[in-house]
Amino acid sequence: MKTLAFTLALVLGLALHGGALAHHGWAWTTGKNVDLAGVIKKVSLGNPHGILHVEIEGEDWTVEVGQPWRNERAGLKDGNLAEGVKIRMIGEPSADPAEKRLKVERLFLGDKEYILYPDRD
Amino acid sequence: MEHLLAMLEATAPAQYLRTSRWVYAGVSGGHVLGIALLVGSVVSLNLRLLGFWPATPLQALTRVIVPVAVVGLALAVVTGALLFSVRATEYAQVTFLQVKVLLVALGVLSAVLIHRTYGLTLEGASQERRSWHAVISIACWLGALVCGRLIAFAVD
Repeated sequence: MKTLAFTLALVLGLALHGGALAHHGWAWTTGKNVDLAGVIKKVSLGNPHGILHVEIEGEDWTVEVGQPWRNERAGLKDGNLAEGVKIRMIGEPSADPAEKRLKVERLFLGDKEYILYPDRD
Repeated sequence: MEHLLAMLEATAPAQYLRTSRWVYAGVSGGHVLGIALLVGSVVSLNLRLLGFWPATPLQALTRVIVPVAVVGLALAVVTGALLFSVRATEYAQVTFLQVKVLLVALGVLSAVLIHRTYGLTLEGASQERRSWHAVISIACWLGALVCGRLIAFAVD
């Protein structure tokens, strides 16, 4: 019985701890938008998450864009988000400033705006 | 290994799932259903093996629970393989996934061993043998569940 209780406590503890690592939703972000520009270095689109690596002022940022349906709804076509493309992003960075991670709400390629989250400012 | 993973990513189902919205969501939901059936039933049976609900006959309980757990496991494995195929190279490097696969294998092994010796109903097994299996089984399946959930929080 003691072993069981210990196991359950361990598992629960791990599960709760896991929440802190989350990048789902917006709980991990600052809650305030920033406006950043850089050059796309690496692209990994597709389910379950679309991720770009963008060089911003010499630093490598992990940039979360949408799942395929969200990017498509925003008007993005295959190949728009590609290596070497200049991108301007408006979104929320991680609340931990040491973590160079941004979740994009809208982005610009050239002058064209693509809105991933229409209901967010 | 790298080559195999790349081949898996290039298969038609993987390519389709990578961009589909509702089918991917459906497979993901199927994975959750499989886990729910499996873990819900396995934990229930293991608590009985540890001494909860002594009035409930083991024979009646195992007759219901074992098939439900097997169906849940099959569903979780098939949907899990499909989800894995979408980003096989990336997922294969995730420690949580490696640990999870190990725990699933141990959980299955523990179940196969005890049922092979004592049959479906486990009635011949001593209390000590039952308790050992129950503790290992609960640790494996809950551990696998937690590791599985954490994959979503570990992958970039």
